[in-house]
Amino acid sequence: MGLVQRVIEARGIPTVSLSMIPAFTRAVGVPRLAGIAHPLSRPMGRPGDAQGQRAVLRALLGVLESALAPDAYVELPFAWPETPAQARKGANVHPPIEQLLMKKPWLLPRLYSGSIPEGN
Amino acid sequence: MAPPIDSYRFLDFATRQIMRAWVEREARTTRPIPWTPMRRPLSECTVALLTTAGVARNDDLPFDQEGERRDPWWGDPTHRLIAQGTTERDVRLYHMHVDTRFGQEDLDVVLPLRRLEELAQAGLVGRPAPMHYSIMGYQLRTEVLETVTAPAIAGDLVARGVDVVALVPA
Repeated sequence: MGLVQRVIEARGIPTVSLSMIPAFTRAVGVPRLAGIAHPLSRPMGRPGDAQGQRAVLRALLGVLESALAPDAYVELPFAWPETPAQARKGANVHPPIEQLLMKKPWLLPRLYSGSIPEGN
Repeated sequence: MAPPIDSYRFLDFATRQIMRAWVEREARTTRPIPWTPMRRPLSECTVALLTTAGVARNDDLPFDQEGERRDPWWGDPTHRLIAQGTTERDVRLYHMHVDTRFGQEDLDVVLPLRRLEELAQAGLVGRPAPMHYSIMGYQLRTEVLETVTAPAIAGDLVARGVDVVALVPA
């Protein structure tokens, strides 16, 4: 996401990113960033919570006007009503890379280091 | 004052270890950060959104999940256009690393098109752009995303006269 943001900004359009993992997005180096303490998969809030989603979008877009220089970082003041365990409950997410690494755990360091195998 | 956001709090153990390693890796590289100043107040801006949830309209090409199953180090690096007015009934979420139940139930959880329209009605933003953008965020090899997809999206934004873009992760 940060890489795409950088390209759009460099083309002359002001951009802002939301992030649930702001430490990572910020390390990539983006012009404007808003961190939020929401779980993955629910950046804007809970399904059906129009009021909460609207508040997040309004705060996110507000960073476009408040930010003054590159690497602008704001933490949005929204709390999540569940614990991490509750937030993960019922998730059925099994990406192919997880299954591959269970079979071939010696490849895990390549994922850590970003030394990604070439395509077949 | 609230404590700073813990980027790792909601992550499972494996994802937390990977993200910590990636943050360390990125921190060793410093790149100049691009900057374009705002040209007009937000209340006059045409606003486009970009989601990384791998959203594709049902009348468009799906993101390639089969390709990722064949080569788990690969993620579909292409993008899709999502017209303003699109709802959860018109799309599927193809990202295999996130819990798609929530965005599939209510698209505004990942791509807040109705919320954007409401902010425009309230006069806080000028207007929603006619088109918004979707990519699939699992990209370990970033070359195509950076050199083909992102420039294509940027070119389309310029051609459509979009003033500002907000990017929403999944």
